Amino acid sequence: MTRKEYLIRQKEEKGRKLFGIFPAHYPKEILWAMNVLPVEIWDPPLEVSHANAHLQPYICSVVKLGLELILQGKCDEIDGFLFPHTCDSLQNLASMIYNYLDLNKPCYFFYHPKAPYRDASRQYYLDELKSLVLRLEKQLGALDPSELKQQVKQGQQVATLLRELYSLRAHGELKASNVDFYQIIRRGEYLHPDDFLPLLEEFLAISRGQVVKGPSVVLSGILPSPPDILKLLDEMGVRVADDDLLNCSRRLSVPTSKDEDPFEAMAENYFAMPPCTTKDSPLNTRVDYLFKKIEYSKAKGVIFYMVKFCETELFDVPQLVEELKKKGLATLVIDCELNQGLSGQIETRVEAFVEMII
Amino acid sequence: MSSVKNLRYNFMKDLGAPVLMRFSSLRKKRHPRKLNPDFGPALKSTNRLKEIMTRHYFLSRYAEGAKPVAWVTSGAPVELLRAFDFYTFYPENHGALCGTQKMGPELCAVAEEHGYHQDLCSYARIDLGHYFSGKTPAGKLPKPDILFASNNICQTVVYWYKALAHYWKVPLLLFDTPYNFDKIKEHDISYMVRQFEEMIPLLERVSGKRFNYQKFQEIIYIAKETSITWGEVLATMKARPAPMTIFDAFVHLAPIVSLRGLPVALDYYRTLLSELKERIDHGVGAITNENKRLMWDNIAIWYKMRDFSDLFAEQGMNFVTATYTNAWAETIYYLDVNQPFESMAKAYSLVILNNNLNNRLELMERLIKEYQVDGLVIHSARSCKPYSVGQYDLRRLLMYRLKVPSVVIEADITDSRVYSEGQTRTRIEAFFEAMES
Repeated sequence: MTRKEYLIRQKEEKGRKLFGIFPAHYPKEILWAMNVLPVEIWDPPLEVSHANAHLQPYICSVVKLGLELILQGKCDEIDGFLFPHTCDSLQNLASMIYNYLDLNKPCYFFYHPKAPYRDASRQYYLDELKSLVLRLEKQLGALDPSELKQQVKQGQQVATLLRELYSLRAHGELKASNVDFYQIIRRGEYLHPDDFLPLLEEFLAISRGQVVKGPSVVLSGILPSPPDILKLLDEMGVRVADDDLLNCSRRLSVPTSKDEDPFEAMAENYFAMPPCTTKDSPLNTRVDYLFKKIEYSKAKGVIFYMVKFCETELFDVPQLVEELKKKGLATLVIDCELNQGLSGQIETRVEAFVEMII
Repeated sequence: MSSVKNLRYNFMKDLGAPVLMRFSSLRKKRHPRKLNPDFGPALKSTNRLKEIMTRHYFLSRYAEGAKPVAWVTSGAPVELLRAFDFYTFYPENHGALCGTQKMGPELCAVAEEHGYHQDLCSYARIDLGHYFSGKTPAGKLPKPDILFASNNICQTVVYWYKALAHYWKVPLLLFDTPYNFDKIKEHDISYMVRQFEEMIPLLERVSGKRFNYQKFQEIIYIAKETSITWGEVLATMKARPAPMTIFDAFVHLAPIVSLRGLPVALDYYRTLLSELKERIDHGVGAITNENKRLMWDNIAIWYKMRDFSDLFAEQGMNFVTATYTNAWAETIYYLDVNQPFESMAKAYSLVILNNNLNNRLELMERLIKEYQVDGLVIHSARSCKPYSVGQYDLRRLLMYRLKVPSVVIEADITDSRVYSEGQTRTRIEAFFEAMES
């Protein structure tokens, strides 16, 4: 079943509303509990044309493709949009869509506090969660607190399975290729947990097993796209043993909260998430986090897979590279446009990097 | 803080700086600038401005070790730091200085050699280039004891200051301002007020001074008066002919950014305002033949200020307003000495760049009407995403609603390597034609 077919069936058969969600951090449990299916918009497979009339050439392709998706009329089935506060460009895109484009669809904004966290940050996050619920209730009706509790638990089940997959992969006990692994992980961007949980369980069952020995790396950046890098690494026998990707492991809280109050549990999960550029995490926490991943997975180096023009990520890279090099680790920084594949030059650089870590 | 360094700082403040200023003004008089017939007489206050800013940079060399030093973002609520007697330094102001001195490409290139991508903000690259090379047109910059950033102008400043905190190994204090997507919410204000309260112990520790609420209220009062006076300075450009140009305002902006909350800035703007009113009374315009009045959107292109000033004046076009200069006058009215924290939360979180695009559209419409603007020049600045994303639609909507001709210039604030003279000239010439029709 294609993604589109799945979404239409969710609407027709389950009566769920569909919300387009722009990157990156948001409380999906609230949406599930209100019978809304969040559909994340990261890198729709489109050629950018219409968006160029609205956005400058120096704006990243996550922002451009998201707008392109709307302008090409491919969001007709969408019942609303949610814009988490992620970066300057997405912040303004949210306002452009809400204020200027006359979409006639509800638009919601969700601001999460930025690090370094203080006592005020936790209270603000809780207030913002509850404020979002109040705003959503105007469109969707009252939230059932017991349903939210249930969805928080389901979200934690998803996180537990994902963490198990990540742990097995880091220890070389998951046979899946890089391509297959991220195809499964990324289906969480739109599948309801009722469907995502069995998929993960099945994947876990068939993929468990020792991998062929070979070099491994950690992948850092926004998302594993264009996916050509995964294919290239597979072909070269290099395993992505772990990642520090915004749309993958950076959204996995460790450990998940046991709090009975669903709002408190969501807040605890948010603050237990790994350090992230979009939350302004201090550099030393990012360095420590990367070192832990490398030590845990025995990776030989880090590939920083950047989306071109992404200031949020690019600012941290020089210091991270410097710290990794001090420890004798190999690093490779690549920046490219989404949906444009890898150039021959980038392939050559990846090959040279792999030769270094063999 | 060292008592010897404190003594040296005070000596320089009371004796060294005045002597330097006198010497500097004498030297300038020997080389007067050639007069351009397209312009009216130069503003006399500019000499005083130069003295104030030169003194500020000069004293910064001696501040280290004598006073607690804070590096501050242009939109941060500096009033709180003033209550602890911090010497404040503004890297964005320094970036603009490097831009006007055409040092942007050189310092950016240094940062790029250290891995900072050319797509990153050029103010940040200049600042990091200074960190790695020590080069600056100001002689020497003081090492910070603390970094104070607010994301009310962009998220970029936080990424940039995080890097500074990493290199300088000093604390970074962030004032996190929720983006105003629709309407500011009560819990947004509570969050910001609590942040102020939580900052005080750290500021006390770094400065070695106790928080004095009464002193803080006095500073809030001065800051508010200064911003109001700055607003009145800008409002003089409603007159026909306008007594100054927006290029003048870009220069005279320095005290409201860098010295806000200090009496020197308030005194200066009162002097400037008085001179501008006198010019209005005598019908003295900034340019000799003001036929058309323009609005500028976004930060200045610092390395092209003189060229643009001459080019437009030659056509009888005067820039009389800008969203950028207006930013330090727009929301400061919220400041209230009786509710300093709550009012600062509003004044600083509702600034143009932290406010939704509908607010910006309405603001631009109002400025266009109040200042009788005939045309709009939009600087699409690579370095500034929150200012630039949405400009194409703003242009379209303003054209539709007010029939105002406009031009978009693709450039950068300080990195002239991304500026195309040919492309810009072609666009501006087309704009001139549209203005004539």
